[in-house]
Amino acid sequence: MKRKVILSLAAGAAVLGAAALGLTGWMVFQPGPYAFATGKPIPLSAYHGPSPTGVPAELASAAPAARGAYVAAMADCQACHTAPGGKPFAGGRAFVLPFGTIYTPNLTPDPETGIGKWTDAQFLNAVHRGIAPDGSHYYPAFPYPSYTRLSDEDVLAIKAHLFALPPVKQANRPNTFGFPYNQRWLMAIWSALFNPNERFRPVPEQSPEWNRGAYLVEAAGHCGECHTPRNLMQALDQRAKFGGGVAEGWTAYNISSDKISGIGDWSAQELASYLSSGHAHGRGVASGPMGEAVELSLSHLTKADIGAIVTYLRSVPSVKGDLPALAGPAPATPKLARIDNPVGKRIFEGNCASCHAWTGAGAAREEAQLTGVRAVNDPGGANVALMILHGSGGPTPHRPYMPDFGKVYSNDEIAAVTNYVTARFGTEPSQLTADDIARLRAAN
Amino acid sequence: MTAISVNRKTYEINATEDTPLLWVLRDELGLTGTKFGCGIAQCGVCTVHVDGMAVRSCQMPVGTVGERAITTIEGVGETSAGARVQKAWLDLEVVQCGYCQPGQIMSAAALLAANPDPDDEAIDAAMAGNLCRCGTYVRIRQGIKHAARS
Repeated sequence: MKRKVILSLAAGAAVLGAAALGLTGWMVFQPGPYAFATGKPIPLSAYHGPSPTGVPAELASAAPAARGAYVAAMADCQACHTAPGGKPFAGGRAFVLPFGTIYTPNLTPDPETGIGKWTDAQFLNAVHRGIAPDGSHYYPAFPYPSYTRLSDEDVLAIKAHLFALPPVKQANRPNTFGFPYNQRWLMAIWSALFNPNERFRPVPEQSPEWNRGAYLVEAAGHCGECHTPRNLMQALDQRAKFGGGVAEGWTAYNISSDKISGIGDWSAQELASYLSSGHAHGRGVASGPMGEAVELSLSHLTKADIGAIVTYLRSVPSVKGDLPALAGPAPATPKLARIDNPVGKRIFEGNCASCHAWTGAGAAREEAQLTGVRAVNDPGGANVALMILHGSGGPTPHRPYMPDFGKVYSNDEIAAVTNYVTARFGTEPSQLTADDIARLRAAN
Repeated sequence: MTAISVNRKTYEINATEDTPLLWVLRDELGLTGTKFGCGIAQCGVCTVHVDGMAVRSCQMPVGTVGERAITTIEGVGETSAGARVQKAWLDLEVVQCGYCQPGQIMSAAALLAANPDPDDEAIDAAMAGNLCRCGTYVRIRQGIKHAARS
């Protein structure tokens, strides 16, 4: 009898162990980020097409400083390594994660608090392998599993750019992670499992433009870090590549070629316009982290590089999402009676209608259009709420912009106006509560 | 030098691109029927039509107008909806002090052009951004219905 119990326990443990192994294996052994493309990736040195790495052709003979600045813009280091209102690249920006808050470090060449004493080898080791000069491991909030694909030359061009910045004396803030997340050595295991530690491998069967786009998107731009969902071990789930994720409370939408949830029905021109200027007619405005990506990175890229990104993005296979189809223009006779939300209605009429127009068509400028925009047609409502909380577009010289309303309205009121806007102009209303708004405030 | 079309006339203007359309209308073109109220698109008194849509001219940089047609309170009587609204306003004596009324009339005319027979809800929605400190809202609503029937 006893023996039977032990045997069945052992069998149970074996099954559980096998399941855990299988699950881990499923998460670890994933396709690469562009395994969907026809062709066989080869080492960069064996590739004969125009180089997909480095600066674009028109900058090939520019001064090293200009080339370094361009590569640094491609990788968008500045957005994360600058605190709100702080000196560029001096770090200190907080990222509030489920396990605590992490602050980005100082990248200026100050020898004590920045990276002024770092050698080339140490910088390469940090960017490609996520290992600090003292041997400790970075958390993957630093997207080194993407940056690992950057060429050595490009990483060192970024270093040269950083070393040409004015040094800023600003000590790094320690993170507030609790046990077990404060055990940095665990990151060595994570890294071994999820950082491929390999440089970009072009695919000769694809066009030079596609390869340049793949390099810009996967190595430098690290789009997937926000737009690809993560698995249980916080690694990118490449099987749902670009299926959508979350960034600081903002919904990073599906950017696969799915026609409803993704960007499958965007034209190349719309995508190029959105990426380079943060807006395409009728497609809304890049806000939050995407607004920063446009401002600090994408808007600095050449037309050809934006074109390459568009070519690559449009080749990414469709990942089905659960977002509804976009509602069309609001009817001239709105059916307002069905929206039982007097608080939201009052706030919308008093604050929003003048610029967005009562039809949602956008009055003050075309960017103010609410109808047909994904964020408004998302029953999750997070991005609408965050735009109301923090504004959008930032103060643009000499043009009206969306101001922030977070300081003048309570969580109840922000929730009400968000639910009103999505109900009136979107496909399905959001059902946000004051608690949801409190969480969004804390996440950002 | 930019050219803008106001009330079917083309004007060459000297203002810089970032100048609010309202300033250009009042100070450069002398069309002072459009009033200044709050300056931050909160009161609606500066409303004009841009290709038929009601827009607060205090927040619209003149450089973004382009080739779109501007209609102001001086020109709205030339449109069918505008003429009917103006007549209704006189018939019912909607106006009290009158300062907000150019904006009210412009918003009402834009509404009627898009929706010839608006119900109370549609009227409330379209007129929501136009404030009247005398409180003529009840007569404004009657005026719009009167104009719709005329």
